[in-house]
Amino acid sequence: MPKKKLEIQISNDDIRAALLNMLEDHKSDAHTIVQSRKAVLNVLKDLEESNTKLVQAVAKLKASEEDISRTLSLTQEQNALNEAILESIGDGLAVADKEGKIMYVNAEFERLTGWQFAEILGKNISDILPAENTGLYGASKTKDILTDIINGKSFTASIDSNLHTVRKDKSSFPASSIITPIYLHGEVAGLVKTFHDITKEKDIDKAKTEFVSLASHQLRTPLSAINWYTEMLLSGDVGQMNPEQEKYLTEVYKGNQRMIHLVNALLNVSRMSLGTFVLEPEKTDIGTLVQTVVSEQRAEIDKKDILFSLTSDAKIPYISTDPKLMHMVIENLLSNAIKYTPNNGKIEIDLSMDSSNTKFVLRVTDTGYGIPENQQDQIFNKLFRADNVREKDTEGTGLGLYIVKAIIDNSGGSVGFESKENVGTTFKVIIPLRTL
Amino acid sequence: MKKEDTQKKTILVIEDELPLQEAIKMKLGLCGFSVLTSRSVENAFGVTFNSDLVPENPIHENSIKSALAYLEILENIDAIWLDHNLIGKEDGLDFIVKFKANGGKYATLPIFVVSNSENTELIKTYAEIGVTHYYLKAEHKLADIISDIKKTLDAPLV
Repeated sequence: MPKKKLEIQISNDDIRAALLNMLEDHKSDAHTIVQSRKAVLNVLKDLEESNTKLVQAVAKLKASEEDISRTLSLTQEQNALNEAILESIGDGLAVADKEGKIMYVNAEFERLTGWQFAEILGKNISDILPAENTGLYGASKTKDILTDIINGKSFTASIDSNLHTVRKDKSSFPASSIITPIYLHGEVAGLVKTFHDITKEKDIDKAKTEFVSLASHQLRTPLSAINWYTEMLLSGDVGQMNPEQEKYLTEVYKGNQRMIHLVNALLNVSRMSLGTFVLEPEKTDIGTLVQTVVSEQRAEIDKKDILFSLTSDAKIPYISTDPKLMHMVIENLLSNAIKYTPNNGKIEIDLSMDSSNTKFVLRVTDTGYGIPENQQDQIFNKLFRADNVREKDTEGTGLGLYIVKAIIDNSGGSVGFESKENVGTTFKVIIPLRTL
Repeated sequence: MKKEDTQKKTILVIEDELPLQEAIKMKLGLCGFSVLTSRSVENAFGVTFNSDLVPENPIHENSIKSALAYLEILENIDAIWLDHNLIGKEDGLDFIVKFKANGGKYATLPIFVVSNSENTELIKTYAEIGVTHYYLKAEHKLADIISDIKKTLDAPLV
């Protein structure tokens, strides 16, 4: 049998179509490949970019690291410098936290006090560095100071404060000091105290004051002679004088009295600077004391036709105060009121207890010349006299109110005033009943 | 030695400043007192009394008890006007201590200290030692001090 020829008739078109299909398929594959290639290229590109960024970041990081290390070394250097500065400060320096625990002291502190930093780190500054008042307070007041500082106040002890700093071996030296709060983010974080030994300054001050004291004492002797001889002449012990002679001699006598008053005032001031003004409190009837002062100055009040009144709260108890010094306070306030109030003016003394019944209040009010507003902050300064009264009266010493303030401050009280020029002045003295 | 006038009281004035001593002496005299004066503690105890009551050649003797002449004079003293600062090493306090050590009348004689020293401690010591009064010299009239002396001397003894 003849092989039957299988005739498959495939038309050209079919082939073509198939080829075309194949071509299409290839095309599609090629496209995919191209696409994939593109994608790979993109990824590669991205990677490259990331890499660049990474390299850049690493470079930046390296730079920062260098910066940081440079800053760190600068900071360390600055710290070392700061520490060296603190260490080299010529004043003793102590830093404490807000509980008063010592955090740092410098070399001068160690030298002045005998304490080593290591042995006092973390200890309370008021135990390590007690301040003793050699003046009128007597007792240590360091703890009060600490409380004040924590409450944001500063404290300054100058040559007049008579504050002694106690060393490790319990000996002490006069010190000038400043204690200030340390503020961190607006809050008190601790305190810093600087201080130095003022023994030399004190000695010079003492020598000066002793000179004044001695000179004042020596001055009184010839003044006593003038006093007693004019007294005898004026009382006719060696014969009567004519009216003119008597008038002149009265002026000599008055001038001498003024001089005695000035010497007394200078002596008081020198005693205050020396810290030898000793308070000797005793039970005092303040009403009677005021009346005594008023009767001593009655003649001056009447001479100027001043309307004087004394009002007193009936409940005022006996007060523990130094009657001699209190006398001096009232005497100065009243004589000022008389001196600086024109004829026919008014003066009023008022004695009362404050609302809490724990403080005695003395007010001296006048209708006098007043204290000029721009000089009110200087009125308690030694030897200060306001311009308006210097024009009117040449006799004042500028020591009276200084003495008043020194006595009242040392009595634990306070003195203040309200004044308007050509209207009048009220001085107000407050004395707590238990501190004296 | 007897007082010429038994009514006259005698004051021993111990004051080193001569002009002041003179003024005190004059005023006391005018007020009817007899006056003995001295400028130092040593003198007050008999080396030289500056007074017409004292013999011209006083016996140099420091002890009151053994110097009879001075004892007689001192016995006539009714009060003492005493300054604190005096010539020599000793001051008014030393005088009082020595004077009172003799006991009897000497221990109770009124003493008026008239001084320009205003030292609080000093004034306190004088008060403790038993002086009648302490005056600040520049602040008191002679007449006022003498009036106090008179009052003290005229007061009946308790």
